[in-house]
Amino acid sequence: MESETNMGNTASRKIRKSYFKRSTGDRLFSGILVLPAVVITVIFIIVPIIDSVIKSFLDFRVKNIISNQPGKWNNFENYIKLFQNEKLTGAIITTFSFVLFVVILQFVFGMLLALILNSKIKGARFLRSIMMTPWVVPTIISALIWMWMFQPQYGLMKYIVQLFTGGAVTDFAILNNPSTALLGIGIAALWKQVPLTTLLFLAGLQNVPDDMLEAATIDGANKVRQFFSIVLPYMKSVINVAMSMAIINNFKQFPLIWTMTGGGPDNATTTLAILSYREAFVSNNIGSGAAVTTVWMLLMVVVVFIYKKLMGETEVD
Amino acid sequence: MKKNFLGSLLKYGTLTLILLFLLFPLYWVTITSFKSNMEAYKFPPTFIPEAPTLSSYINLFTKNNAFFVYYKNNFIVSGFVAFLTTVVAIFSGYALSRFRFKWNSWILAILLASQMFPVVSRMISLYDLMGDIGLINTMPGLILALLADMLPFTVMLMTSFFQSVPVAIEEAAYIDGASRLQILYRIVTPLVKPGMVAVVLYSFLMTWDDYLHAATLIQNDSLRTLSVGVALRYLGELSYDWSLINTISIIGTIPMILLFFFFQKYMIKGLVAGAVKG
Repeated sequence: MESETNMGNTASRKIRKSYFKRSTGDRLFSGILVLPAVVITVIFIIVPIIDSVIKSFLDFRVKNIISNQPGKWNNFENYIKLFQNEKLTGAIITTFSFVLFVVILQFVFGMLLALILNSKIKGARFLRSIMMTPWVVPTIISALIWMWMFQPQYGLMKYIVQLFTGGAVTDFAILNNPSTALLGIGIAALWKQVPLTTLLFLAGLQNVPDDMLEAATIDGANKVRQFFSIVLPYMKSVINVAMSMAIINNFKQFPLIWTMTGGGPDNATTTLAILSYREAFVSNNIGSGAAVTTVWMLLMVVVVFIYKKLMGETEVD
Repeated sequence: MKKNFLGSLLKYGTLTLILLFLLFPLYWVTITSFKSNMEAYKFPPTFIPEAPTLSSYINLFTKNNAFFVYYKNNFIVSGFVAFLTTVVAIFSGYALSRFRFKWNSWILAILLASQMFPVVSRMISLYDLMGDIGLINTMPGLILALLADMLPFTVMLMTSFFQSVPVAIEEAAYIDGASRLQILYRIVTPLVKPGMVAVVLYSFLMTWDDYLHAATLIQNDSLRTLSVGVALRYLGELSYDWSLINTISIIGTIPMILLFFFFQKYMIKGLVAGAVKG
């Protein structure tokens, strides 16, 4: 009895010893392997982000960089100024309208296209691959394509609108009008982003079990009912990922807006991305730009948190 | 029967409308690039070029060839970034999928956070930082910044690919006396080739698309990449040479379209794996 436990002990000690040796090796090996990624991410992303938060509290301009002078603490002046002249509140509203508009329509169009392509129509594979083309078009070129479509004198859209309104509207210039410019950019954003959403939704649709749908059909549930009670719940994780990607990407959207309108007309398309870039690199007031990005990061954290919470709660139901 | 007909009418109608929205602009740009400036500025526009001409292509290749400097630079930058990203992503993806240490969750948290935060916020400091280490206005500086931008998503993507390779294969090789590096290099990496291709393509496509990094870190015209170069040189304040711009759009997109159609199997698999699992 005693010798037995003894033997057991030595055996386990032996195993533990060799295991321990291998695990220190593993630790070292694994540490070395992840080191490059961690070092690069920390130096070029994490440190700059922290540094920009610090700079948002300083009077820091491009001339500080040139003369190599540190910025001075300025008692939240960057923030106060931005809120006082309503630049920031305007940009926040614009950003949220843009994100909401694009993300909701992206979901609707992506889902419609995915459902249709999944419904055993002829040439679905071919259509799936050609519909991806807008996604590989570089963002700036998507901007140029849609600027040409919307061109106020010779643009195709002007012609189409003129045709459909029977010649009543002859001065259609979506990007030049403060009340429609954001819509114009949203259309271009949708054009580029719907394909990827569709592709992800198509992948998600493969998770929906066919026999469930068959059973539902036999039980007399119509297509709409089937979609809401079977298809959507099974696609939840894919929808979740695709929509968080869409929210983050549209929150960050810069080149599209910058190229198409530069934030104008009359600041109608000045989102947080445009405002921060303009403050930091056009007005050369880096501290003020950093203040915008700090507010923006906080908002993003809040939005992602709320989104996760909402998605999590529906899971419980 | 009648209901069925209505249903498919609705279905094909919606399909046609969405596809028209996605594909017609591409057709429109392509035909405009083959129109003369005179015809491009005609209103109402012509839907098939009346007198197709290559004049704007010839113009781009002969007179406005600054464009090709940007084009070449973009190939260099995107190529290097794609290569480096893949190497680094393989290393860390393997480590994160095979070894369970406490730091793993910290690393994942760092990667997720960096994916979320706006690029402008880090450009504000990178501009300063790159100046300090003498990398502002240089290609290596731009490449490093873009590499950092690519890593979060690609590391997570690589991790999910490595997770699908059974550990038993490695155990066998370990017992046969292969070193850890040999196992990674000779045995596991060949098994995640689809993942590697997905990472190469993803990082190439995304850096080809970069605007903000190049706009802030590069001031020298001869070092500019496509997006910024085109924006600054060809988009004047008031008048745009639309035939030329449409031609640039076509030439600037072709490499991406070719890349995508040749490798779409990997690309789609990788993206879906990254999104569904990651």
